Amino acid sequence: MINRYHLKHTALLGGTLWATLLLLLWFTGQLLVWQDKQAQQHEFEEFLGEIESALEEHGLEHVLQEFELEEDEVWPDSEAQTHLFDEGWLVALFKQERLLLGANTRLTVASTPQWQSVSLGEEGNVELLSASVNLPDDLQLHYWQKRDELHTHRAEFYTQITHWFALLSLPLILAAIAWLQYKRTRTLQALSDQLAQVAHSPDSKRTDVSTSNPDIVALSLAINRMLDEITRLHGNLKTMSVGIAHDLKTPLSRISNRLQSMVQDVDNPAILEGHIDKANNELAQVINTFNNLVRLNAIESGKHIQGFKTFDLSALIDELAQSYQPVFEDSGRRFEVSIVPAVHCHGDRDLLGQLICNLLENALEHSHSDAHVWLRLQNHTDSALLQVGDDGPGIPLGDQPKVFDKFYRADISRGRPGNGLGLSIVRAICDVHKAHLCLLEQQPGAVFNIEIPIRSARSD
Amino acid sequence: MHILLVEDDPDTAEFICAGLAQHNARVQHCNNAEQAMLSASATAFDVIIFDRLLPNMDGLDAVRVLRASKVRTPIIMLTALSDTADRVAGLEAGADDYLVKPFAFAELYARLKALARRQPLRADTLELVIGELRLNRTSRRVYRAGQEIELMPKEYQILEYMMQNPEQLITKTMLLEQVWGFSFDPKTSLVQTHVSRLRNKLDKPFAFDMIKTIRGSGYLLTGSHYD
Repeated sequence: MINRYHLKHTALLGGTLWATLLLLLWFTGQLLVWQDKQAQQHEFEEFLGEIESALEEHGLEHVLQEFELEEDEVWPDSEAQTHLFDEGWLVALFKQERLLLGANTRLTVASTPQWQSVSLGEEGNVELLSASVNLPDDLQLHYWQKRDELHTHRAEFYTQITHWFALLSLPLILAAIAWLQYKRTRTLQALSDQLAQVAHSPDSKRTDVSTSNPDIVALSLAINRMLDEITRLHGNLKTMSVGIAHDLKTPLSRISNRLQSMVQDVDNPAILEGHIDKANNELAQVINTFNNLVRLNAIESGKHIQGFKTFDLSALIDELAQSYQPVFEDSGRRFEVSIVPAVHCHGDRDLLGQLICNLLENALEHSHSDAHVWLRLQNHTDSALLQVGDDGPGIPLGDQPKVFDKFYRADISRGRPGNGLGLSIVRAICDVHKAHLCLLEQQPGAVFNIEIPIRSARSD
Repeated sequence: MHILLVEDDPDTAEFICAGLAQHNARVQHCNNAEQAMLSASATAFDVIIFDRLLPNMDGLDAVRVLRASKVRTPIIMLTALSDTADRVAGLEAGADDYLVKPFAFAELYARLKALARRQPLRADTLELVIGELRLNRTSRRVYRAGQEIELMPKEYQILEYMMQNPEQLITKTMLLEQVWGFSFDPKTSLVQTHVSRLRNKLDKPFAFDMIKTIRGSGYLLTGSHYD
């Protein structure tokens, strides 16, 4: 594909260049020939003028002497032609349409100096200048002049040059086309071959071109960046699949166990009901995982962005804090809330509500049983700064970069309920709000800082 | 209750029909939107259950057409789409409630009962009275047997919702939606904690419990001592 396209392109370019050069050469030759003819015509006119003035001053006899002509010398047509070829000129003098002397020829003559092309038997076509001059005493002079030999040779020379150029430059042009074709397609072809290899192992192979063409280098780099991103997404997908599989396997195998127990305890309604309840709870967990995945996908798709509004974040957080206060109290944890009133932000109320809930749920689930958990909101220059933190035990240093990954769970055995999607949803909500999310380092517990833009990014 | 069920999946339809039959509800089932619209215009149902994804037509459009042709029967939409935006779209089209599949039958039935009752009970009723329990919506004060009970805002909202739907199952999801406006399910016992606090104030000092737990399903507010 690359080859065919470029060959067509290069051939078209080479062919046009060749034809243009040829045309230019031919045109220059024609121009020089025309100049030669003009010069001869000019001389011819001057010569006729000289004859006229010689006739006036010295009379006919003197002029005849100049021409080395006898007074009544008449050349028949064949002799006239020979004379024309040998001497390069021919003259005829008429008195009232009667030939006095000179050529008795069938050659025509124009009233003013003009070029004509005449076919003269064996000699082929000959270019002649001719003119008739009216003289006193009803005399009329016809004069023909052959084209200058030198000029004729020169014209032939130009034609030959054009022919030779056409002949010799053609292979050169073809070679140039072939060379250009090679030069232009070499790197692209190499890139194309490399991409074919990359397709087999997109995670490890990258393109590498050796060319000075900056466009192709840029293209190669862009392809590599794209491959890196694909590799990352591919990795995410793998983690996701493994995560989903793990997350489903545990509740599903428990349900399977319950079903087996139900078969055993079919005669004991009380125990049977217990099994059904447990199986239902496990199923609810599976469904919850899927709901969270769908929700995460919807958030990541960014479809909420068009519904963003500026709203009172303080009021929302205050309401949520009040809702969670008794939950924390019942769990034995100390929940401290500090909210600067009337902090507004631009976003989706429902999503930001979930963000706060997920962080609070995270603190409830992972802090120690008598932990101190806090929720703070304050104003920054262009953002609302939200902090949700607890005083321990926190997230192991090595796991900190992974906490926002989908299905990441510090508890590898997945013994506790829930899925590793809560903090992924938090990150997705932050991303969609262009909010800056970070897990503070060097803290005894897990402390999350979130800066939510106060104004819409678009309205700035 | 007389119910119109619009559902194209035979399994789901059978599951709902069997459940409703147990509660002695009359059900008319159709599996496409055109037939459903004809039936809904011709017969006065108490509630219509509308599947969102139907062959040939989005249930959302069908609901819009029904509302445009002045059919005011309460409609609950069933859907596999659980996002808030889809929910809002459903409610904006004219549906009264929106339930995400898969669901427990008890959840659906509780919502059907709430919808079927909604009409006679106006939202602007100033005082709700269930048995010896009295709730004033202007002063936001609650009295049981003449004794004032002080409630936190969320506890008040829970009780108000329960009193609007007395003697009916109220699920955790219904409370999350109605009281908190959540379209997602927090993992912890947010609802349980608040209901338990409400109970401590509402039931503990008195002779019998008005809020009953329906195990695995939700709660029920009753005005009478005897079940």
